[in-house]
Amino acid sequence: MSVQRTWLSIVAVIAFVPFAWAQRDTSYDFSVVSQVRIDLRDLGYPPIDLIPSDESEIRALAVAPDGRVYGATSGGRSHLFLLDPRHGYIQPLGTLADAKVVHHSLVVSKSGEVYIGTALAVDNNAQGYEQYAGGHLLKYNPGEGSALNGIRIDKPCPVVDLGIPSKGQAIYALTIDRSRDVIYGLTYPDGEFFSYQIQSGAMKVHGRVATKIMPGEKFENEKAIGRALAVDQEGNVFTSGEGGRFYRFNVKTQQLERLEIEVPAVPGREVYNRVDAWTTDGEGNLHGGTSDGYLFRLNPAKLAVVNLGKPISQYRIRGLVLAHNGKLYGIGGDGDEMARLFSYDPASGSYELLGMIDVNRRPYYSWHGYVFDAMEVGLDGTVYMGQAERKSKLYLYYPQ
Amino acid sequence: MILALEVRAAGPLGSTIQVDYRVFPDLAMMDGNWAALFAASDGKVYAGLAYHGGDGHLVYYDSKTDSMHDVGNLTALCGESLLRRGPQSKIHAKFGEGKDGRIYFGTHAGNWWDYARLGTKEGYPGAHWMAYDPKSSRVEDFGLACPNEGVNTGAYDPAWNRIYGLTHPRGHFVYFDVAKRVAVDKGRINNFESICRTLGIDKAGNVFGSFGMGQIFKYDPRTDQITELPLRLPIRPKGISIGRDYDKSETAWRVVVWDDETQKFYGVEESATTLFSFDPGGIPNGEVRRLGQLCVPGFEERRDVPYATLSLTLGNDRKLYYAAAGREFDYSGSAEPATSHLMSYDLKTGKIEDHGEMLLPDGRRVLGTNAATTRSDGTIYFVGAIEVRPIAGKPVEAAGRIGNVHYRLALIIFRPGA
Repeated sequence: MSVQRTWLSIVAVIAFVPFAWAQRDTSYDFSVVSQVRIDLRDLGYPPIDLIPSDESEIRALAVAPDGRVYGATSGGRSHLFLLDPRHGYIQPLGTLADAKVVHHSLVVSKSGEVYIGTALAVDNNAQGYEQYAGGHLLKYNPGEGSALNGIRIDKPCPVVDLGIPSKGQAIYALTIDRSRDVIYGLTYPDGEFFSYQIQSGAMKVHGRVATKIMPGEKFENEKAIGRALAVDQEGNVFTSGEGGRFYRFNVKTQQLERLEIEVPAVPGREVYNRVDAWTTDGEGNLHGGTSDGYLFRLNPAKLAVVNLGKPISQYRIRGLVLAHNGKLYGIGGDGDEMARLFSYDPASGSYELLGMIDVNRRPYYSWHGYVFDAMEVGLDGTVYMGQAERKSKLYLYYPQ
Repeated sequence: MILALEVRAAGPLGSTIQVDYRVFPDLAMMDGNWAALFAASDGKVYAGLAYHGGDGHLVYYDSKTDSMHDVGNLTALCGESLLRRGPQSKIHAKFGEGKDGRIYFGTHAGNWWDYARLGTKEGYPGAHWMAYDPKSSRVEDFGLACPNEGVNTGAYDPAWNRIYGLTHPRGHFVYFDVAKRVAVDKGRINNFESICRTLGIDKAGNVFGSFGMGQIFKYDPRTDQITELPLRLPIRPKGISIGRDYDKSETAWRVVVWDDETQKFYGVEESATTLFSFDPGGIPNGEVRRLGQLCVPGFEERRDVPYATLSLTLGNDRKLYYAAAGREFDYSGSAEPATSHLMSYDLKTGKIEDHGEMLLPDGRRVLGTNAATTRSDGTIYFVGAIEVRPIAGKPVEAAGRIGNVHYRLALIIFRPGA
């Protein structure tokens, strides 16, 4: 072995060389989603004024009557944030006291007040709930908050604590009947259904949608509680519960009812099946996505269910919205899978599979989301998708 | 036109350096190696050989007997040969040696199929944490590190007895606590195309990696928390990357090595092969300094500066040795062949030296490398692609081609001062 002689030199190098060769052609820059129809927003103003990693899972989104989009995060702490479409950036509004998770529990009243349901953890075999005091229903008044306080990362969000709906229970899902000023909710881990009257402040538990642990291994300790709630035009509230059945809160009788109709499931898997997401159409129907990955339409007046099939091979439909083009958009995929976007056209009964949720703005930024747990449509038709990973972004999709 | 001046010690045009080598017998089909090379205290040099579409192998070179040994097929060692799913095609991360003398590592997948099979029944089942015991010649499988994902980047800390990793494609920070037999997933760090390829561990057991636009994160095993440090690597601004694969982000460090003497990391970032030091104890959150560039001289400001390799190691002579690619190199993914240069940076003088093109004793070229390690006696090892010249009438023993040139993997040996 020998080293040939070296010499000291001053190397003058040229900053620009007018040629370069691409190693691979543009087909190598693989992207399933059309990159002019999708974008994302950081949760704040990077790199400093940003909702931190480990506190940024978006598991709840809501659109206010004035078009502002609110989101709540989960992780080490929960934060409330705001996206005003006029600005387009995200403004963190502060941390939510004692909250680690806000799961599908964010609603906005007709007057613009934001209601938040907090949790310790969800879908975790109820670990940690032995000592848990209970999730709180919080109220954020934007008139008193966002304009005055600016970006808040490590400061608490100014909220009013409306109390704990059920002792020892977290809030698992919320929905609102804006016309009647009533908020409805489900709790975790026991699946209690409750209501909150905005005007009077009255809070009441009406019953449970699940009482038994789902069949499973010894380490499993989950009840089949619907992960979302929907209100029909009459003010009745729908979710799913034990045995894969639909449950209805009858607004006239103020009773929680176990219905005879079942959530579409793979036969034999009914006991594991639940509704993950809901949306409504302009004709009074409710549309839902199930944990088995089926899309369905429920006529709440006739209590008739139509199974619209399974758009993707994966489990779970974790987000569902009706876009302004008349199509339903949904996100499917469980936590260890890859989230995929699809649309369903009720007019033609056809699906369009839009693929993985990946934003590629190289060289500026690029980010591929694998887990999503919230979806809303803005007043201008933009579809918002909340990524639910340790380091998450808010995705924007622009339907054609 | 902008002129930049940098004092360097460069070999004359056409200078070469002769290196020794050993091939991996009966494993000529192995087509790549990234990071997985480690000189253990007993003189054995371990390597993970990748085989896209098939089973990777763990091998070691016994420097005392000058013999190469195949420990085995990784898919079989993981007990997954009957699964008929995505195979264990690689060890894609650094090995480490425990106080018990075992060699710790994690496995990785080969093909990702544009991620179409991620989480599917035919897809990759996920990486395994493992240990090879040279006393018993047995491999222990600690089980799944991360469902459906591979350990893309890794490091082992003997003090805390933990194997750390970053997963691909989701970019999670994971670890396995060997004593407690607990696997932990701390969640996502980065995007798939910009996952840094080396985790650095300091003397206190803190684990460092890069993320985002050249930022650095720190994992503290005492608190089990990850923090993002207000530091920036000396990466070149984006927009100069024509010629680079699209999934090579140019925002991360490629490789870092820890120096006990200075208590600093020395590393190479991926955009322009910029050498830097990272002092994790610097005030207040550490300090990063640019030291120069280790690319082949002449490439410094060019748009087609080759993507940095993982072939950085600290020699016993206080020099950092780096095998620089002669052009964009990724084994059979390379467009054309070029010869690697051996570069060094003297920590005592700050002098960068180009030792010239790396050639085998018979004149064949080293076409690229992606791993380096230093044995206790000062011998430097690389694993990379060497040129294979077909012999008429004999089958070509090669993994594939780079351009029109056949290549196979070899352990490349350089003895400083010899």
